[in-house]
Amino acid sequence: MSSRPTNPILRSAAWRISLWAPLAFAIGTMFVFANLHGFVASDIQRRSDAWLSGEVEVLGDVAERTPKDRLYLRVVGEVAELASREVPNRQRTSASENENDSVFFLQAPDRGEAQLWVGSGDAAETLSAIRSTKAQGDVPVDVRVKGFGIPFRVASVRIADGSNIYLGLSERDELHVLRNLRVRFLTLWLASVLLGFAIVFYATRRMLGHVSEITEAASRIGQSDLSSRVPNTKSNDEIGHLARTLNHMLDRIESSVHQLHTITDSLAHDLRSPLTAIRGKLETALSNDVRVDQAEPIVSAIDELDRLTEFLNTSLDVAEAKADALRLARVEIDLDELVRSMIDLYGPCMSDKGISVQIRSAGSVKVLADPALLHRVIANLLDNELKHLHASCTVWLSLHSADDMGILAVEDNGPGFDDEVRRHLFEQRIKGRESRGHGLGLAFVEAVVRVHGGNVTANNRSEGGARLSISLPLQKTTSEPDHSPMLAKA
Amino acid sequence: MRLLLVEDELEIQSFVKQSLTEAGYEVHAAQDGATAFQLAAKHAYQGLIVDLGLPDQDGIDLILALRRSGVTSPVLILSARRSVDDRVKGLELGGDDYLTKPFAVAELLARMRNLLRRGSPPTGDATRLHVSDLELDLLKRRATRAGEVLNLSPQEFVLLEYLCRHAGRVVTRSMLLAEVWGMRIQPDTNVVDVHIYRLCGKIDTEGREPLIQTLRGIGYVLKTH
Repeated sequence: MSSRPTNPILRSAAWRISLWAPLAFAIGTMFVFANLHGFVASDIQRRSDAWLSGEVEVLGDVAERTPKDRLYLRVVGEVAELASREVPNRQRTSASENENDSVFFLQAPDRGEAQLWVGSGDAAETLSAIRSTKAQGDVPVDVRVKGFGIPFRVASVRIADGSNIYLGLSERDELHVLRNLRVRFLTLWLASVLLGFAIVFYATRRMLGHVSEITEAASRIGQSDLSSRVPNTKSNDEIGHLARTLNHMLDRIESSVHQLHTITDSLAHDLRSPLTAIRGKLETALSNDVRVDQAEPIVSAIDELDRLTEFLNTSLDVAEAKADALRLARVEIDLDELVRSMIDLYGPCMSDKGISVQIRSAGSVKVLADPALLHRVIANLLDNELKHLHASCTVWLSLHSADDMGILAVEDNGPGFDDEVRRHLFEQRIKGRESRGHGLGLAFVEAVVRVHGGNVTANNRSEGGARLSISLPLQKTTSEPDHSPMLAKA
Repeated sequence: MRLLLVEDELEIQSFVKQSLTEAGYEVHAAQDGATAFQLAAKHAYQGLIVDLGLPDQDGIDLILALRRSGVTSPVLILSARRSVDDRVKGLELGGDDYLTKPFAVAELLARMRNLLRRGSPPTGDATRLHVSDLELDLLKRRATRAGEVLNLSPQEFVLLEYLCRHAGRVVTRSMLLAEVWGMRIQPDTNVVDVHIYRLCGKIDTEGREPLIQTLRGIGYVLKTH
């Protein structure tokens, strides 16, 4: 788990999915629209071209038939005027109802001045623009006239008197239609992309919410409580399947852990009952006034029996810890306090042996651990020091925290570990040649520290002596822990 | 005082009964839950000692049933199980105590005495303890023997205080570890003995009658005379 304050939404898979899905949708619809737009544009052009060609034919016809008298201009002009009212795709706006600048009619010979002009622009400019455009027979062409931002579509026909009739239609309306189309599309497109984003984000977040619920529950179960289960969403989809699979797996884990507990419990029970009876009898025998020479074997039998009990307890603990099935009752423990009270207990014994002890600690280091087990772990480490060090050696206990871990190192300047022993240090039944113990000590230490989420390292110091360090995850608190390992002598 | 002992293992039952009788209690013994329940209905007991692994029912269920039927006496739970059941913890919070098998008889007696003393008001002066010619001032944390001030460390004072409170009775190493140092550990070195020897060196100086007696294999006794 990271403690960095990044936005959790931006890191979630729901965010990424809801970015990619609408992006794909946006690109796809954009492509479809581009095609549609092209089709609509060419269709409008085809229609206006057909109108232009038809109309210019009619006008040519009228111009040809009308006698070239003083009424000619008026007649042809009016026909052209009428024709211009039937412009296709026309925007019916009241302002431009009478003033019609989208159509022009022009009659001109191949060379020279225009003969007839109906339109709002300048005849000479238009004529020169038409002449500079390459004519392509009967097909209407685009003509750009100076002073008009929008090109005209111009169709022409040649009549019998050798002059040309030109009919021009501004592409303004066509472009206007297309622009409207684009604006509407883009508005709807943006709205649907945003809506899609929102829906996908909501849906995936909901779905992935189930996944993270499952993850959280699973990790909680992994850490402590094997009997609880991940939330089961009755649905038959992948998430529901995942939950069911996990729960099924947990059933099996729980049942094997339960099995292990049953075995260790009944083993403990079956051995402890006779041990209790034996110990009771020995004690009763001892309390009846016995002679000193008779008492000695009874006392040593009780000692042996206690050692056997301790061995039984420890080996069952190690067995359970190795199977990750050790039952922990965690509470907050201050390692600093614990180490100091351990030294209160062990100090006199050590100084009797001529061993000096020093504590280096920067203050409280709080961990979440099972007190009974942790006490035994540290007692084990100190028992080890007592058993293996000669007089005039020193033991240093240093405590500090680093990277969310509390680290307790036990160092000495004694003989250090045998190479042979060190390689198998954390295995059961490994002990030094002179050791009196049952050889479970460090296996127990390692197993207990590991089930608490920490680890143990053992090595020889370069300047001589052994170094054993255990690390345990710190108790997460809101207060700022002190990270600087200062030196304070006990 | 009358006690009820519920334990199915006859060998354990016999020596526990014997020790309790020797300590001056009247003991009734039952081998299973049903018998225990009948006995508890017939007699009033000041204390109960209940083994968790009974043949006919779980010891905790028996205790809960007895509690429901109006038995309020304190219970000492004996357990051969590895882990302390949550329900046992609940009973422990309610004022009862538990002891893991195998146990030292001395510890059983000490815990039983502790349980029976609960509820009864403390006797005598609560700030001073007298044992033989030892005197402990609990407020000033000062100890004297025959009027002579003993130079004790705070740790040694706590240890002596515990011994004085249990004067005349056996205390075991594990009792001292649990009560004086607050640890349930079984060191395989003589750490507790060293503390006791040091304390002896300070209070049993030459020419005086030694007060602290070591019972090998059992524990220590602070003599009262």
